[in-house]
Amino acid sequence: MTEMLNDVFGQDTRTKAQQLIARYPQSRSALLPMLHLVQSVEGFVSQDGIRFCAEQLELTTAEVSAVATFYTMYKRKPCGEHLVSVCTNTLCAALGGDAIYARLKEELGSDGKPLGHEQTSEDGKVTLEHAECLAACDLGPVLQVNYEYFDNQDPDTASDLVAKLRAGERPAPTRGAPLTDFKQAELQLAGFFEGRDLDVAGPSAAKETLRGNTVAQDRGWSAPVMPDGVLPPVPEKKK
Amino acid sequence: MTLAADKNTDIVVPDGHVKLTIDGAEVVAPKGELLIRTAERLGTVIPRFCDHPLLEPAGACRQCLVEVEMGGRPMPKPQASCTLTVADGMVVKTQLTSPVADKAQAGVMELLLINHPLDCPICDKGGECPLQNQALKHGRTDSRFTETKRTFPKPIAVSSQVLLDRERCVLCQRCTRFSEQIAGDPFIELLERGSQQQIGTAQDQPFQSYFSGNTIQICPVGALTSAAYRFRSRPFDLVSTPSVCEHCAGGCATRTDWRRGKITRRLAAEDPQVNEEWICDKGRFAFTYTTEPDRLLRPRVRDAKTGELRDASWTEALRVAAEGLTKAKEAGGVGVLPGGRLTVEDAYAYSKFARVALGTNDIDYRNRPSSAEELAFLGSTVSGTNPEHGVTYGDIEKAPAVLLIALEPEEEAPGVFLRLRKGNRKHGNRVFHMGQWTTPAVVKTNGTLIPCLPGEEADMLGRLPSEVDELLRRPDAVILLGERAAEITGLFSTARELAAQTGAKLAWIPRRAGELAAIEAGALPTMLPGGRPVTDSVARAEVELAWGLETGTLPTAEGRDLAGILGAVANGRLAGLVIGSVDVHDLPNPELAERALDSGVFVVSLDLRESSVTRRADVVLPVAAISEKAGTYINWEGRRRPFPVVITGTNRLPDCRVLDTLAVEMDADLFTQTPAAAMADLGRLGHHTGNRIPAPSVDAGRPNRPGQRHAVLATWHQLIDHGSMQDGEPHLAGTARPAVARLSVDTAKAFGVADAALITVGTDRGSVTLLAEFADLPEGVVWLPSNSTPATVRTSLGAGHGALVTVTTAANGAAS
Amino acid sequence: MFDALKGFGVTFGTMFKKVVTEEYPEVKKIPAERYHGRHQLNRHPDGLEKCVGCELCAWACPADAIYVEGGDNTEKARFSPGERYGAIYQINYLRCIGCGLCVEACPTRSLTMTTEYELADDNRQDLIYTKEQLMAPLLSGMEQPPHPMRLGDNEQDYYVKGPELAVSMESAPFADSMETAPLKEQGK
Repeated sequence: MTEMLNDVFGQDTRTKAQQLIARYPQSRSALLPMLHLVQSVEGFVSQDGIRFCAEQLELTTAEVSAVATFYTMYKRKPCGEHLVSVCTNTLCAALGGDAIYARLKEELGSDGKPLGHEQTSEDGKVTLEHAECLAACDLGPVLQVNYEYFDNQDPDTASDLVAKLRAGERPAPTRGAPLTDFKQAELQLAGFFEGRDLDVAGPSAAKETLRGNTVAQDRGWSAPVMPDGVLPPVPEKKK
Repeated sequence: MTLAADKNTDIVVPDGHVKLTIDGAEVVAPKGELLIRTAERLGTVIPRFCDHPLLEPAGACRQCLVEVEMGGRPMPKPQASCTLTVADGMVVKTQLTSPVADKAQAGVMELLLINHPLDCPICDKGGECPLQNQALKHGRTDSRFTETKRTFPKPIAVSSQVLLDRERCVLCQRCTRFSEQIAGDPFIELLERGSQQQIGTAQDQPFQSYFSGNTIQICPVGALTSAAYRFRSRPFDLVSTPSVCEHCAGGCATRTDWRRGKITRRLAAEDPQVNEEWICDKGRFAFTYTTEPDRLLRPRVRDAKTGELRDASWTEALRVAAEGLTKAKEAGGVGVLPGGRLTVEDAYAYSKFARVALGTNDIDYRNRPSSAEELAFLGSTVSGTNPEHGVTYGDIEKAPAVLLIALEPEEEAPGVFLRLRKGNRKHGNRVFHMGQWTTPAVVKTNGTLIPCLPGEEADMLGRLPSEVDELLRRPDAVILLGERAAEITGLFSTARELAAQTGAKLAWIPRRAGELAAIEAGALPTMLPGGRPVTDSVARAEVELAWGLETGTLPTAEGRDLAGILGAVANGRLAGLVIGSVDVHDLPNPELAERALDSGVFVVSLDLRESSVTRRADVVLPVAAISEKAGTYINWEGRRRPFPVVITGTNRLPDCRVLDTLAVEMDADLFTQTPAAAMADLGRLGHHTGNRIPAPSVDAGRPNRPGQRHAVLATWHQLIDHGSMQDGEPHLAGTARPAVARLSVDTAKAFGVADAALITVGTDRGSVTLLAEFADLPEGVVWLPSNSTPATVRTSLGAGHGALVTVTTAANGAAS
Repeated sequence: MFDALKGFGVTFGTMFKKVVTEEYPEVKKIPAERYHGRHQLNRHPDGLEKCVGCELCAWACPADAIYVEGGDNTEKARFSPGERYGAIYQINYLRCIGCGLCVEACPTRSLTMTTEYELADDNRQDLIYTKEQLMAPLLSGMEQPPHPMRLGDNEQDYYVKGPELAVSMESAPFADSMETAPLKEQGK
């Protein structure tokens, strides 16, 4: 008869959830960050987590499930301490991403069985996934640990990296904030930095990415200025 | 819309309209109209799956692609005509004139069919399937897809009633949009992504909606099927007969499909003024009660020697009944209880039978808690209600404010609930629920709860929040009263006063389908047909003239009401009873009713199925079920809802025919041999223009206050419960809302049951034990569903809305 | 005069021709393999019925000779793989014209025709054959339904693995074409 309590999600999480809702004019908008918040507590989106979001946002569990099952960043099985995402989209794959993924699969597997997509190594340290484009094609092949970039990888460096992660080390990413763990990263994605605001403040763009800009600055190049007032006609909007 | 007779003539474009060209023809269309509808009005049907006129546009299926040109510039790609609104100067080419549109449609169709199984021969939808039809009309003749089709394990049950074959689904989202927009129960959603995208429910919450059946009907493929109809027959095998739902006073238009003398399914029919295209699950699935094994097929007579009921011929049964009733009439009189589920023809036959054959006004159709105040209200306000002058579904939708008193729309009048929700979504009307807790209906109509103690409603009307009072003064505001109003002293009187003060329209929405018909037919102790007061000599003379009776034949005094009749029978003042389909457990005092029936009076029962009444009767006369007779219901608007015989050739007799023959045996003529004859006879009476029964004037009663030892009971029926008209349909029963007792946390603490899972609500008569759930009820109030447990509120507690009850922790943890 | 002799000539000549008289019923003629005789409702190799009660045969029938009523398989009583089975199945041989459209319509190859042609009786009632009369006999390895699915976990296994099962059956002694084997005397 007592109301169903989400014991997993304590008062702190509830407060955070309310803060998320307060950020948006419509409470439903807070669903995406709230699912990250749920992942920061449990390491994945459980049925309890779905119920938690539904209760907080006054949605049905079906509506929350619809969103949680659509996005790949919401994991439906418990994740390890770190999430290793290997880009296997065209460019990275061609540059060696496939080889990295194959190597990590073998190394993280146990009993002669390679690790599959979104599976966790037996020691619970690393969850492996093959990811769609990570938006760093100029630095490929890339992989991410807890969404922090490790650029210009090859099977050996990747293997080394994962070995360090499993040994409890937290190697510094090529750029961006220092490595934490998956749950901590999820909390940041939910928008709670817990005193780490400076770490994630950036800039985290790589030198390679900005090279064109640098060259243009050096040589004084600039794009022609758009003449005022004569914008090309915008195609009429439907409706 | 006007069509150009000659292209050169200028078409006048009225205000708020635009002119466009579709397939070379100039058309004028109102601004904001969707292109697909404009084309349809022109006679061009663009194929579509996701588009539904009552749902918001989605553009999900992409089947309705057309070529569009705006301001001389062709749009770069074919556009979905179901999301595109008309614009001035638009030039549209549909598949009829544009090879591009035609190819686009054929392409979309080919993609939709890639994963669609070719199981049309065994699919329920085969033969009435939009996908099948449109694939034949607009699709390619062959598929270029040679790979293996994606399959899913089939089917999955999204509820006990609705089954989903995911591989047949084309992801049009009609079902999810219906459940979100129309019903307000978004328990089905699109899950997963890419090729795995599928409709589904959350793991912990099935598709529990009172309107889930509509998704089956609007599914454009065979993805959603009902457990009750799945694989039962093929659409082209069925005879479809228009019919009217018999379950509530809504009068929804339905279509009954049957074959081989058996109903296979019931669908919603279109009636924009009443139910639009929707019906509730009870109306859709609860039709098996007429074929239950306890259905009465032959008359029965109590054997003089053995004292047991035995089968008899009609001739014998009618003779015995007539003799017994004649004797009883002389020995003190006979009371008539027709029940609240009759057509106007049948109710009229009861009414005339009582007056002509039995010479009495002791007739009351109200087989539920009722009051004298209600009787006056029905005579003064409800009788003669019609959609021209009274409140209609349309009025509810358009009203700026609706105040519901003692009415739980989703449970008691689902059609009204859908209109309230639509009104709020489309027109932003304000809905105020005077009730005890924030029910799902309050949430889904975006309504405001005006909480009060059960029984305090009348008093509360005198101190409405100023906002409500103000809104009710706006033109076209509506006040709706429910069946429960009869249990609240003074509510009818105060509601009338409030309506008069504010100018709001007042309507009464009972639960049963036959109530308005029975009032119109005069199946009440104070009223002759048409609301004519029995005490009014002019009105009596009118009726006597029409019925061909000698002046002064009709009884002049008001008769006894339900409680009066049962009381008089119990203490021997009445010697006989004629009872229609009445369930003893619906009556306010089932104990008294059973005592009356057991008192040795002569009882003639006209019923469909065996019941506690037929078991005690001296003569049992079987009558036709709704599907076996023609008739007319009158819904709460006062709208006549005639329907024809569905299953022909059953030889079952409607009540009016049975009573007519019985009257002949008693040497009286009713002229109600057939429903048509009964209707014509009623029609000869004409409208009543004379005096009416005076309006009630009863002061608001003092409600029971909760105390240290007693809580106050609030109760009403859930839509899907243990009602006998839902028997034989386990899949429907599986979608019922769980039966729980509701009370507030504070109340639970006050009665020391805060930690108990099961609580027992009791009176000196008996008790009901249920799982407890917290809700925002007023302090000291406990809510129970009236008939969702084996122990019912009326029979087990002998109590009703507003009664005092005890609340304790369940003794041994077993639910009753 | 010559005409009479001519007549005898025909008689005499006929004595040397092949006899066309059928010695029926002493000798029963075996019709051609694809003769349209009495129907048979076939079984899966484990004895479950192939009929799913879809009524397509009844729909295809131009003479309206077939009546089918489907029923639900339950966990306790399973007659066919899948959800439904033919609970009532009747063919009225007073009406049947032996066209075979029903066999073509059958999606599960449940309904086929045997070469059995002795379909006469002295009353109408007995010429309405019921499901019990039409069901194929139980061959070895078959079990009278209702019983659980023996050949796979779901309905699909019965069809996907069907060819293999048929082959394995062929090596069995009763293999003379399960589907067209004439009905044995079943004590109608």
